[in-house]
Amino acid sequence: MILESIRQAIVTLRLQRLRTFLTMFGVVWGTASVIFLLSWGEGVRQMLESGFTKIGKDMATVWAGQIGENFTPAIDRRYLWFTREDEEAVARRARLATLVGAESELWTVVGFGQRAFTMSVRGVEAANFELRSVSVASGRPISRFDVQHRRRVAVLGVKARDRLLGAEGRVGSTVRIHGNRYEVIGLLERVGTQLWRDSAEIDEQVWIPITTLLAIGPRYGIDDEITDMILFRYPGRHAYDAAKREVRSILAKRLRVSTRDEEAIHVVSAADALKQIPIDDMQGLFLILAVTTLVIGGVGVMNMMLDSVQERRSEIGVRLAVGARRRDVVAQFFLETVAMTGIGGLAGVGLGIAGSLALGSLEVPDVVPIPVLQGWAVATAVGVMTGVGVLAGLVPAWRAARVDPSLILRVE
Amino acid sequence: MTPVVQLEALEKRFSAGRMEVHALRGIDLAIAQGEFVAIMGPSGSGKTTLMEIVGCLSRPSAGTYRFAGRDVSGIDADGLSRLRGEQIGFVFQSFNLLPRLTALENVELPLVYRGISRRERRERAGETLERVGLAERASHRPAQLSGGERQRVAIARALINRPHVILADEPTGNLDTTTGGEIMTLLDELHAEGHTLVIVTHDPLIGDRAPRHLRIRDGRIESDERAA
Repeated sequence: MILESIRQAIVTLRLQRLRTFLTMFGVVWGTASVIFLLSWGEGVRQMLESGFTKIGKDMATVWAGQIGENFTPAIDRRYLWFTREDEEAVARRARLATLVGAESELWTVVGFGQRAFTMSVRGVEAANFELRSVSVASGRPISRFDVQHRRRVAVLGVKARDRLLGAEGRVGSTVRIHGNRYEVIGLLERVGTQLWRDSAEIDEQVWIPITTLLAIGPRYGIDDEITDMILFRYPGRHAYDAAKREVRSILAKRLRVSTRDEEAIHVVSAADALKQIPIDDMQGLFLILAVTTLVIGGVGVMNMMLDSVQERRSEIGVRLAVGARRRDVVAQFFLETVAMTGIGGLAGVGLGIAGSLALGSLEVPDVVPIPVLQGWAVATAVGVMTGVGVLAGLVPAWRAARVDPSLILRVE
Repeated sequence: MTPVVQLEALEKRFSAGRMEVHALRGIDLAIAQGEFVAIMGPSGSGKTTLMEIVGCLSRPSAGTYRFAGRDVSGIDADGLSRLRGEQIGFVFQSFNLLPRLTALENVELPLVYRGISRRERRERAGETLERVGLAERASHRPAQLSGGERQRVAIARALINRPHVILADEPTGNLDTTTGGEIMTLLDELHAEGHTLVIVTHDPLIGDRAPRHLRIRDGRIESDERAA
């Protein structure tokens, strides 16, 4: 019976090729859209997440600011700064900060041969490589000892290296930073376009030991080893808020400010920014759009099958006359509609998968989202398609069941 | 012997729009096993309505109808479907073959709804097609057959369940005289083999070939004659 219906649907399909094609196009397109849009939405999500976390996976940045106006008389809104001792305190005491590093930035002139540019020079610690999820493509990273001994060594980002050293530059070249000579000990691997960054992108930065950077010039006229930011890694997104609270309370105590003063101690991470982007809403919207297309496609199929019931009333009459029961007729038209939707739907699944894979395999810049085929997108498409087919099948089947067998003697 | 078809004081009314049509007004009729009856009358006389009721395609408004001794008013819709499929064979003026099926598949159709296996269906349908002289046309679709051939296929479809009665509604109405004559010859043969036949026609030449003539006018039986 089911095989018979599928066969019947194929026959109907063959007899009315253009009409069937136009009708089924809605189902094909709708099903393909569900898969394609959901996969593309996932691609957008992954693009955003990777773009936002290139600054460092699960990494938060703490900045020292100014005492907030709600926490002190205006006259006393002093500026705050972190020292490396503050950083060490966080490293020692914060249980949710699994990795901690200090970093300072100095925009200064970096030269090589006849070339010189103003670049973002970062004073870093050994831990910063891991914190920022980047390793060296050649040479070696900045070590603990480089930091201890204030060595004049530098590690260059990909773009910094291309601009500064050009083709002839390599590990072992000597560059000038703020008038002093530094040995290039390593080159960072390519990070790519960052959707979230602190001033320059990592690819454009020049890294030197933080102690060396602090020795370059007076910072704020204070002798302490000042650090612009404290970086820390939190154990996964679910722990971010707790880690943030813990680190803030440690630093607030040391700087003697309120733990609630977000202007004084400013903690940010890509997670905060990602939260602002309504990816799930967007996915929901995609789903609604695609499902609507599919439902409209289903209405088309239903309409066609209603026509078909009307045209085949004498066939129904004959079937009833030769012994078909109403339920046989109902089943026939129901299954035919479901089969037709199913054929269109499977074509749509194929199209959706093929389209997602084809576009997903394109080489595109970092910030262009491409579909990432999702099993659950295919499952959703098949599920919705089945539901639409069943709903579209009920009405024609019910109409077919109401055909009066005696019409067979009356129609010419 | 119990008549195959037995109608007593049968009435049929139906509404056509706002008008109430009184199509059959008290029909008493018995058709015995092996009879060949022609029901004749002008259009609007009620002969199609009578056929419809005899074929269990609709129910009488009043009176009783016994089919092979069984009162059909006690049978539900599914039961009537089964009765039609197994004990009544229909032949229509416009053949009513399913255009998408081959001749063989059309003949098989009543067996499909009895749940008979594909192999047995093939075999029996093949034999029946052979009986009506169309064995070599089995795989043709109706559109590839002539009118006479289509009607033969339809007769084969009516025959396949060895029904108690074959009801033919203007079986030659869409055929030329020669082909119509061939179909009537086939029906004569079936009668000779012992089948019970009821044909509805308005053509006296066709009706005269049946041994028993029933004339209907205005929903009543006007005459019931048997040829010697």
